[in-house]
Amino acid sequence: MKTEVQNLEGTVRGYDPLGDRGWGRRRYSSPKEAAVLKGRKYAAVGTITFKQQTAYMADFLIRSVFLLLILFIFMQLWSAAYSGQGGAEASIGGFVLRDIIWYLVLTEAFTMACPQQCTRIEEEVKSGGVAVRLLTPISYVGYQYFSYMGEALLRFGVNLAAGMLIGWLMVGPPDFGFGWAGMAALGLGSFTIAYLLNMSIALCAFWVEETRGLEFVLQKLQFTVGGMLIPLDLMPHWLQQICAWLPFQAVLYFPAKTAVGGMGALGAFLGIQMIWIVLLGALVAWIYSRGVRRLNVNGG
Amino acid sequence: MKVLETKGLKKTFMVKRKQPGLGGSFRSLWKPEWGEKEAVKGIDLAVEEGETIAFLGPNGAGKSTTIKMLTGILHPTSGEAKVLGYTPWQERGRLAYLIGTVFGQKSQLWYHLPPSDTFELMSRIYELDRDVYLRRKASLIERFDLGPYLNVPVRKLSLGERMRCEIAASFLHGPRLLFLDEPTIGLDVIIKERIRELIAELNREEGTTVFLTSHDAGDIEKLCRRAVVIHHGGIMVDGPVEGLKRDILRYKTVTVRLAGEGRGSGAAVQGLAGTELLEAEEGVLKLSVDLTSTDIETVLSRLMGSIRIADVTIEDPPMEEVIKTLFSRSRDHDSAAGGSFGGEGGGLP
Repeated sequence: MKTEVQNLEGTVRGYDPLGDRGWGRRRYSSPKEAAVLKGRKYAAVGTITFKQQTAYMADFLIRSVFLLLILFIFMQLWSAAYSGQGGAEASIGGFVLRDIIWYLVLTEAFTMACPQQCTRIEEEVKSGGVAVRLLTPISYVGYQYFSYMGEALLRFGVNLAAGMLIGWLMVGPPDFGFGWAGMAALGLGSFTIAYLLNMSIALCAFWVEETRGLEFVLQKLQFTVGGMLIPLDLMPHWLQQICAWLPFQAVLYFPAKTAVGGMGALGAFLGIQMIWIVLLGALVAWIYSRGVRRLNVNGG
Repeated sequence: MKVLETKGLKKTFMVKRKQPGLGGSFRSLWKPEWGEKEAVKGIDLAVEEGETIAFLGPNGAGKSTTIKMLTGILHPTSGEAKVLGYTPWQERGRLAYLIGTVFGQKSQLWYHLPPSDTFELMSRIYELDRDVYLRRKASLIERFDLGPYLNVPVRKLSLGERMRCEIAASFLHGPRLLFLDEPTIGLDVIIKERIRELIAELNREEGTTVFLTSHDAGDIEKLCRRAVVIHHGGIMVDGPVEGLKRDILRYKTVTVRLAGEGRGSGAAVQGLAGTELLEAEEGVLKLSVDLTSTDIETVLSRLMGSIRIADVTIEDPPMEEVIKTLFSRSRDHDSAAGGSFGGEGGGLP
C-alpha cells in the first residue's frame, strides 16, 4: 500500500491512501467517480445554504411587503401613462399595462432574490472568517457560487409567490404560457451572471476595505440599463444600442421579457447569456487568482 | 518522519503610514507613505509526526502569520516550507484534505443548523466514503459525547458544547496534522480539561500531530511535549516543555512536611544562599530554591541536619510563571538589543 512517506518525497500526486487508519482518502477509481464526488460536494453547499436560509423566512416575507409597495406605486404611474395613450389595452413598445406590471413583478422577484454578496465577502474578509473557507478542500469561488444559488433560489421562490399574489390582485392572472419555461431556462443564467457581476466587485474586498460603493453603482446600473424598472424596449433607440453591449440586460430583462413577451428571442438570449458567463467567469477567476495571493487574512 | 519543515520562512507586510490628525488622513489619501513591517523574520522549524507542539509568543509575535503560511492561506515573502510533502501556498487544495484547523474565535459550524448538518457538509467536502463517514461520525459522537447536541441548532448551544462540536468536525476527515488556535478560549475549567483530554487522546490513538497556539498555560502543560516560543518574528526558544520550565525559571518549590514538632524550624534555612522561605505553617515549610546560586542537595542536607523530615516534594514552577517570565524577559532583551530578535534562533538561554 502506498503511504504518506512516498507522498512526502513528492512521488504521489493526488490522493493519500491512509486506508490503514480506516478513514483516510483513497484514489479516485475513475474520472467519473471524481466528477460525482465533486458534484456532490458543491450540491451539498447549495443544500446547506438553502436550509440555513429557511431560518430567515420571516425576513423574506417582510421584504415582500416592500414588493407590494413598489408595485402599487408603479401601478399608479403606468396607469396614468397608459390612460394618456388610450387605456390599459393600448400598447406601448409592445407592452400592454398588464404586461408591464407582470414584467415588474418578475424583475423585482429576481432582484430581491439576489443575496448580498459584497456585504458577505467583505464581512468574511474583515472577520477573518474567509480562512475557514480557504482551509477546506473546495474552490472558494465555486463554494460562493453554490451558496449564492442556494439562497437565491429560495428567495426567488418566496418573492415569486408573493409577487404573483399581488400581481394577480392588481391586473388579473398572468398569461405567460410557455413563457414560464423560457423564464426558467434563462433564470439560471440570470442568477449566474448576477453572481459573477457581484463577485467581481465583492472580491475587491481582498484589496480594499470597502466595496459597498461599487456595489451601489452596480445595483443602480441594474435598475436602469438592466431594465428592472422599465423594459429596454421602451428606452430611446441609442440607449438600447448601448444596453445591448452590456451584461446587465442578461440578468433581469431577458427572463422577464421572455415570460411576458414570448419565446421569440429565447435562443439568442441563451446564447448571449452563455457568452457573458464565459467572459465574466474568466474575469472573476482572474481577479480571484490575483486577490488570493494578496489577501491578508485578518485576526489571530 | 517529518510532517512539517520550514527554512527561512519570512513575511513582510507593507503598511501604510499615516500622520496623525485630519491633515494626515488627507495626505495619506493623496500620497500614502508605505513602510515595511517584518512580521516573521526567517523561521526554521522541523516537526516530526505525532509530536505535540505548543507555539507560544506574546500578541503580535508572528504566531498567526506563521500558521497562515503553514496552512497555505498566506504567501510568504521568502523562504520555504513543506507540510506533509506539499508547499502550502502552492498546493493549498491538496493539503487541505490532510490537515485540520480549529480556531477558537472562528466557527465553521452553520449557525442556524444543527451540527449534524455541518458534519454532513464536511463529509461531502472532504469526499469521505459513505460508510467511512458514518463510522467515523459515530465514533466521534461517542467520544465527544455529542449525542444530545447533534440535532440542536448551533445558535442554541453553549460555547463549550459548540467547541466540542467544532473540534469533532475538524476531526471528521482524520487530519494528520491539526492546527489549534486558542481552542479553549473562554471555556470553563471542566470543559477545558475535557477538550484537552480529547485532543490528547486523538494524538495518542491516531498519531495526529498537534500544533497548538494558546495563551493558556494549562493547554500547553497538559497537551504539549515541545514548546516553540517566538517573539518579534523569530524563534526564541525551541525545546521540551519540561525543559522550558527547568531552564527558564531556575527555581524549584520545595515543600517539607516535618515529623513531630516543628516550631522555629524556619530558622534551619536562614542564611542559606538562594533559598527563600515562602511559608512556615504548623508542620509544613515551603521554600523557593534558586538553582542559579545553590542546588537542591545542599538545601536538603542542611535541612536534614537540623530538623526531622516526614516528607519532601520538589516541584517545578507553574507554567503560568514560565510564560510570564519568558515574555517579560524577551521584552527586556528587546530594549537592550534594539528590538531585534530575528537572528537568535533556537537554543535555550
